Amino acid sequence: METGPDIRSALQDQIYIWRIRLELWWGNFKNFLRELSAHPLAMVGGVVLVLYLLSALFADQITVHNPIQGNLRLRHIAPVWQAGDWTYPLGTDSQGRDLLTRIVYGARISLIVGFLSVGISVIVGVLLGTLAGYFGGRFDSLVSRLADLLLAFPFLIFAIGVMAFLGPGFTNLILALTFKGWVEFFRLVRGEMLAEKTKEYVEAARVTGQGHLAIIMKEILPNIIQSVFVLGTLRMGYMIITEASLSFLGLGLPPNIPAWGSMVATGRDSILVAWWVSTFPGLAILFLVMAINLFGEGLRDILDPRLKLEG
Amino acid sequence: MARFNYRIITVLLLITFVFSACAPSTPSTPVVSATSVAPTAEQASGTIVIALAAAPVSLDPADHRSRESETVIRNMFDGLVTRDATNGVHLELAESMDWADEQTLNIELREGVKFHDGTEMTADDVVFTFERIINENQIEYPEAHTSPRKGLIAPLESIEKTGDYSVTMHFSGPWPPAMQLLVHQQIVPKAYIEEVGTEGFIAKPIGTGPFRFVSAQPGFEEVVLERFEDYYGGSPELTPVGKACAGQVVFRVIPEASTRVSALLAGEVDIITNVPQDLIETLSANENVQVKTAAGTQPKWIELNVNMAPFDDVNVRKALNYAVDKDLIIEQIYGGRAVALPGPLSPYNSFVNKSLSPYPYDTDMALDLLSQAGWADTDGDSILDKDGQPFAMTIDTLEEWRSLAEAVADMYRAIGIDANVRFWEYSVVRDQLLAGERQAYLDDWGDSAFDPVGHFEAKWHGFVADTPFGRGNFSTYNNERVNELIEQGETTGDTAARQAIYDEAQQIVYDEAPAVFLILPEEVEAASASITNWTPASDSRENMHDVCKTE
Amino acid sequence: MRSIKILERVLATIPIMFGVAIIVFFFIRLTPGDPVDIMMGQGGAISAGELDRLREEFHLNEPLHIQLWYFLRDAARGDLGYSYVLKQPVTSLIAERLPATIELAVGALLFSLVIALPIGVISAVRQNSWLDRLSMSTAFLGISMPGFWLGIILILLFSVQLRWLPVQGRISLGTGFQERTGYFVLDSLLTGNFAALKSSLLHLVLPSITLGAPVAAVIARVLRSSMLETLRSDYVTLARSKGVAESWVVIKHALRNAMIPTITVVGLQVGILLGGNMVIETVFGWPGLGRMVVKAIFDRDFPLIQGTVMIYAFTFVMANLIVDVLYTYLNPRIRMQ
Repeated sequence: METGPDIRSALQDQIYIWRIRLELWWGNFKNFLRELSAHPLAMVGGVVLVLYLLSALFADQITVHNPIQGNLRLRHIAPVWQAGDWTYPLGTDSQGRDLLTRIVYGARISLIVGFLSVGISVIVGVLLGTLAGYFGGRFDSLVSRLADLLLAFPFLIFAIGVMAFLGPGFTNLILALTFKGWVEFFRLVRGEMLAEKTKEYVEAARVTGQGHLAIIMKEILPNIIQSVFVLGTLRMGYMIITEASLSFLGLGLPPNIPAWGSMVATGRDSILVAWWVSTFPGLAILFLVMAINLFGEGLRDILDPRLKLEG
Repeated sequence: MARFNYRIITVLLLITFVFSACAPSTPSTPVVSATSVAPTAEQASGTIVIALAAAPVSLDPADHRSRESETVIRNMFDGLVTRDATNGVHLELAESMDWADEQTLNIELREGVKFHDGTEMTADDVVFTFERIINENQIEYPEAHTSPRKGLIAPLESIEKTGDYSVTMHFSGPWPPAMQLLVHQQIVPKAYIEEVGTEGFIAKPIGTGPFRFVSAQPGFEEVVLERFEDYYGGSPELTPVGKACAGQVVFRVIPEASTRVSALLAGEVDIITNVPQDLIETLSANENVQVKTAAGTQPKWIELNVNMAPFDDVNVRKALNYAVDKDLIIEQIYGGRAVALPGPLSPYNSFVNKSLSPYPYDTDMALDLLSQAGWADTDGDSILDKDGQPFAMTIDTLEEWRSLAEAVADMYRAIGIDANVRFWEYSVVRDQLLAGERQAYLDDWGDSAFDPVGHFEAKWHGFVADTPFGRGNFSTYNNERVNELIEQGETTGDTAARQAIYDEAQQIVYDEAPAVFLILPEEVEAASASITNWTPASDSRENMHDVCKTE
Repeated sequence: MRSIKILERVLATIPIMFGVAIIVFFFIRLTPGDPVDIMMGQGGAISAGELDRLREEFHLNEPLHIQLWYFLRDAARGDLGYSYVLKQPVTSLIAERLPATIELAVGALLFSLVIALPIGVISAVRQNSWLDRLSMSTAFLGISMPGFWLGIILILLFSVQLRWLPVQGRISLGTGFQERTGYFVLDSLLTGNFAALKSSLLHLVLPSITLGAPVAAVIARVLRSSMLETLRSDYVTLARSKGVAESWVVIKHALRNAMIPTITVVGLQVGILLGGNMVIETVFGWPGLGRMVVKAIFDRDFPLIQGTVMIYAFTFVMANLIVDVLYTYLNPRIRMQ
């Protein structure tokens, strides 16, 4: 057949191109790792983060107890160095559940809360910010107004209001966190868009006849996405802590979802009797959020030293 | 360099200005005295500080519906009758009360009782007090409105003065709980309120109680009272009779329970209310702290929606009662400071059916009843199922009852029911409950009168919109006979006849089990060891008249 | 030219405030839960007439647009209505509570600046040293803990165990304190009452630390990265090459320029300090706005929620505005957009 070799060679070309790409990515990644190694704190943060991710992924495999089912008879057993019982290394909570198991499963919940709330915020914020910043016009002024409005509300009050409006539950919590969460990403992306679209390389792309979508996706977004990534890592910790604050104020997640925030909030009443019940989940949050922040800070140093964060 | 510093200072000043620009230069405090008069060192020696979990909403005895308000108010104002720590009712400002018939109450007032401004209390003040509550739009500030306490004495139709120190009350019908409910109305001074208006009255309230008002912080975050030296002594039946012991009493709001406990441990406050169950043991072990309890008034139960499968089957509802180990919950979560509910009424209720006893913990019985209802684990996943559907239930509740709800859910899961807990705001879930949209709801229902009316009328009478009947009926339970008995009970004066009525009603509700009858926690309070003669009251009000502080 | 821009910005806040008012108005009224039901709680017999009368009093049985009209009409006259639960004018309730919240916010801001400025400067000057890492990790601690947890731990440590600081409240009894403005520190100074001054300052310490800790982290981070950027810039290199003393370079050139983004962040944090304190006010029994508004939300006390949220929004918008104005003055090269 005449066309056979053509197809084969086209395929080989593709494979070759992809191999080059992969090598480039791998090279970039190695460069990134090398740069990261110059930031030991970010390294530590990254390693802790990976550990958290692993425990969240393999929670079922690495725990031996049930995170939800309690037994009042096993209530408030002290950690191993006080009680000497390795069955419950970090002790048990007020319902007699193994604290370590709940903390490991809690990594899953807290990371999901963090990733989902930030992820949705990023998607909405980047989409609206790109459209507003690139095209401007009435859409821009409309969304910018809305963003200014939302920004004027204190975050926690807004979240309480949304929770009251939507009712309890995990999905609604995520919604409450993202309703206002996208605004910061919107402002960041819109601002960067405005700055980038006048630059020469964008002009050049336009001259070569590329469409808007291609310019945005191929030319501008790759330059912006790093800042978004950095801001995202820094916002994750805040979302996890807000979940804790909502639980403190009586709008927490149900007990079949072992979230650290709710664990700290509900364990505080017994802090004088069983200090471990709220302390260990608190430390889990502390380490995770510190790891995320340190990693994010390192990322910023590497990727984008100019980025100004507005908190 | 100098210029740079100057700019920074300007920046800081401007930022500060943003703050202060939003604040009026002189905060007007129409309700409370603008200056907080602090005690001098000598006065402070006899100061008792009480930490409340929530702020009072008003210091006008006719214009609130909150326990915290009443706690503070009843130290400044006395009523015709009062209640002791164990729910006995005693004459206070009334010297005698006699029922002329079932609808007419003759009251003789104590003579020589002085208000805090030195004027004498007479029949005019009593008539004024009650007319201010039962007549429409009597409270003119901030906008004319009717007293929210009218509902507490709804059957009172009129009150008339029959002498300088005697009045007569006319009721619309026989009203058995009259004495218990009159405790909640305090006498206010007619001449003073007519002179200064409600606005002036709440800025400086005056009563006949053992303490007089000194000052209050905005929002009643702190209320300072001092001993009233001309106090008539209080109810002669409740010793000691005479002036209050403490020179000063301060009510301070500390909403967070762990902070309240810390404040007690650090010696900043002397008495704390609403002690978290978890901390009772720790506090009891501390020699500088005394923990006391009083019989509770807020039974906890899970109301099961009797019109929604699978709870439309009485066997299932009974099974859920048998499946809860109430003793374990009481021992572990409440440190032994609670009792199991013997049925729909608190065991301390004056009309409790003595032949009923709490559903025992019996999982075999529970599983047996469930299998009679068709629920069994046929597919070996250790969850009960029926017609291919697993037995799943959601216990709706408030975050407040998290540990109790979780413990119950654990026990249900242990017998193969896939039970989950979900938290709500009461205001949001209430309408859904009344509409029968929820499966199971765990909450309490407070009633400090120790009379069956409060609980039966609200909880076990079928819901009738715009009436008190069934206003808290979250199980959608509606039994003709029970409704009839409840209505009879509210107008029957004869004690033996009432007992028979309520015995039957309790028996029916117990057997039909529209709820899982859980427990009645005791009211737990703690005080520093230097506080003497202090007894927490069942209605969780702090009567400071007799309490002393030894230095 | 510049003053016209500023005026434009001031005018632009008006539609924002209006929008906030409208959003809050509809949002809270469409939220499930009836204020009248909540107010009556469980107890006692309430007749239908009573409930209706209350709804009438609050205009709750009128259509939403009519309610909105009442609200806007009254708000235009500066009347934010009466709190359903507390039966007092919303404006005076806010005025009573605001000083406590502001005093705490100022305390927290001062704490965060005292912590963040040295950390930010030292970390930047000694970039990647162990001092840098240690101080930045410390700064991150503050942003990594739920506020209520930090507060409870501080109370247990410093108040219950060590007994150095008070557990809760704004001032101790028995100091002879006389209230004038509602700012207790200021009032103590005005009346020359040093016992009260000491007491009110001590009461501020723990809540200020708890509230200020996350803010300190944010400020330190921004200051450090801005410092790094300016330290690398041409004119700093030039100054160094001229032989200017390093400490002088840092203070005169680097810090000065790094202050511009830092001030932006401080300004934005002001809104967070005022609006993010309901948790800390609850833990420390601090009688401020945050606790009032949270309770108002649970009570569905519409006028009080509206009023308080509008005050928050106003403060935030104003803080933003002032930051923008300062920004142009401090850095004439940047024109306002």
